[in-house]
Amino acid sequence: MVFPIGCLNPQAPSIMASRGGGRGCGRGQLTFNVEAVGIGKGDALPPPTLQPSPLFPPLEFRPVPLPSGEEGEYVLALKQELRGAMRQLPYFIRPAVPKRDVERYSDKYQMSGPIDNAIDWNPDWRRLPRELKIRVRKLQKERTTIILPKRPLKTTEDKEETIQKLETLEKKEEEVTSEEDEEKEEEEEKEEEEEEEYDEEEHEEETDYIMSYFDNGEDFGGDSDDNMDEAIY
Amino acid sequence: MTQAEIKLCSLLLQEHFGEIVEKIGVHLIRTGSQPLRVIAHDTETSLDQVKKALCVLIQHNLVIYQVHKRGVVEYEAQCSRVLRMLRYPRYIYTAKTLYSDTGELIVEELLLNGKMTMSAVVKKVADRLTETMEDGKTMDYAEVSNTFVRLVDTHFVQRCPLVPATENSDTGPPPPAPTLVINEKDMYLVPKLSLIGKGKRRRSSDEDATGEPKAKRPKQTTDNKEPIPDDGIYWQANLDRFHQHFRDQAIVSAVANRMDQTSSEIVRTMLRMSEVTTPSGAPFTQPLSSNEIFRSLPVGYNISKQVLDQYLTLLADDPLEFVGKSGDSGGGMYVINLHKALGSLATATLESVVQERFGSRCARIFRLVLQKKHLEQKQVEDFAMIPAKEAKDMLYKMLSENFISLQEIPKTPDHAPSRTFYLYTVNILSAARMLLHRCYKSVANLIERRQFETKENKRLLEKSQRVEAIIASMQATGAEEAQLQEIEEMITAPERQQLETLKRNVNNVFLNFILELFIASVWK
Repeated sequence: MVFPIGCLNPQAPSIMASRGGGRGCGRGQLTFNVEAVGIGKGDALPPPTLQPSPLFPPLEFRPVPLPSGEEGEYVLALKQELRGAMRQLPYFIRPAVPKRDVERYSDKYQMSGPIDNAIDWNPDWRRLPRELKIRVRKLQKERTTIILPKRPLKTTEDKEETIQKLETLEKKEEEVTSEEDEEKEEEEEKEEEEEEEYDEEEHEEETDYIMSYFDNGEDFGGDSDDNMDEAIY
Repeated sequence: MTQAEIKLCSLLLQEHFGEIVEKIGVHLIRTGSQPLRVIAHDTETSLDQVKKALCVLIQHNLVIYQVHKRGVVEYEAQCSRVLRMLRYPRYIYTAKTLYSDTGELIVEELLLNGKMTMSAVVKKVADRLTETMEDGKTMDYAEVSNTFVRLVDTHFVQRCPLVPATENSDTGPPPPAPTLVINEKDMYLVPKLSLIGKGKRRRSSDEDATGEPKAKRPKQTTDNKEPIPDDGIYWQANLDRFHQHFRDQAIVSAVANRMDQTSSEIVRTMLRMSEVTTPSGAPFTQPLSSNEIFRSLPVGYNISKQVLDQYLTLLADDPLEFVGKSGDSGGGMYVINLHKALGSLATATLESVVQERFGSRCARIFRLVLQKKHLEQKQVEDFAMIPAKEAKDMLYKMLSENFISLQEIPKTPDHAPSRTFYLYTVNILSAARMLLHRCYKSVANLIERRQFETKENKRLLEKSQRVEAIIASMQATGAEEAQLQEIEEMITAPERQQLETLKRNVNNVFLNFILELFIASVWK
């Protein structure tokens, strides 16, 4: 059953007729006296808007000119200076440079950005919540407290140690578990120490040379173009 | 916070602190108070980045933290404080006018770094001033300290809340975050420091640096070796006081425009006397007697007591009601009605905006409706003496932009439209808020436009920079005039464009002040 749109109440034809009649001739009847708002009889209403208003409507009146003069110029220069200065301060945090597709050898020698995501400046930690402090892994001779020992270099020594650990565990299956745990912890600590020392030595060796002296090697091959007969290896 | 304000905050944070801080900051503004892990999870940034960003934001007083039960620390951003960053140049310029270059640099350092200790500020400012001085001269620390103390005395710089000194810290575990307290009395108390020294120039061949070989210069500066005498006492710029100053300036200039120079000087004296005694949100200043005002007038003004009394009576009788008389003791007690003054200033701003946007006839209608409070359509046409059609058109234009609103007064309880009065009225508070919102939106648009222009012309700007360098080097070696001119001409057009957008940016901010102060005053 399809109801015609204009006809919702078949029992009130009079209303329909007047509404249809109203629509037919002149404006539709509205619920209030339009004269009160100021639309007199016979006035043409503006055409209905069928699209959103233009993005940049033409201005009837030109805007007031900007205040210029000594104060204006000075404040303007200040603002530019401030913007530039803030970019140089340590408070400006730049997102980490995205890694290039292939890991380059020079990456190890170019220290871009602070170590381990720490911040460049020193706030007064007594005034800040404790959870905001980022612990930095310090490469020092003395051993400092490290919360999460990272193990980036799995060398053969480590592997041997883990194999040994597994063997000892197998052998000691029958013993009390607490003893096992203690031993495990001891071994882990030893591993930490050894590995840490190993790490430190490695790192220290690597940074014996001054960073700026390191040559990228990217310029190589561009200079010697004298003899094109020989192939460049 | 409206969408426009959030957008503006995001643009400001991005410009000044980078994208990571912007992401965290906007997230906090949108969602309110949140703990650390939730922030990291919702913004999908690593915990370390979030920590860094929060440190920066807290340092600059843009985010505060609170310890809740079970030791959870929640962070909350202050949107209005972020919006104040727009006005940093204004604050610095004000400090320059009041306390010359030293004051300017002190305020600049404090604004750029959020909070600093007095010794750190003094040292940095002395160094900077020494750089600009001629060779051989250095800036003494004492002079800088003096200016600093003066800034504190006039409340332009205040102390940050302190960490409470805990004597029995080993009884229980330390709290996850300190609760900072500040005593009203201590806020402007300068510690007794004897800062002796001179500013240093930053030069590679400095006499001071010969002692330490450069290769083994320790990463820490020399400060850390000596104990800092005012450790833990941090200072920040007191933005409310600057706002108070702007408000005073606006009132004085309004009085000067309306009456004459002498009356504006009297009003300025009254305001200066009540600078530090009146709290920032007060509706009127403390009553001042005519004798006191006479004694405090600036030295150059030698008007007699009688003339002063006449001026005061004139000011008190003025329909704008900037000055009111509150009593008769001491030759007459006078107050300045701050809230009323702000209201008049806001109304004047609205009127001028209507005039510039819609024309002077619209402005006439607007002023009429303001004066008569509520008017019917017919009455507007009659009083303004503008033909009906035009009046209708203008009223509807202003209505659509929300400068004017309609008030319904029903005659019958069923609110039948044919039997209801519709009156036009101006609600100043809501119109002011709408205008302020529009200002923020246009500033955000301008910043975007400036960024767009910069990107478009980046190539050209870089070229111009290189050209400038070339010119400088050529001038050093002596080159032809014509060549130089030719090179300079290449860079004018985009530069000009940039400058235009920047200017508009800065100057839009000026309108904000009065409106914000007015709105704030009514709310309190």
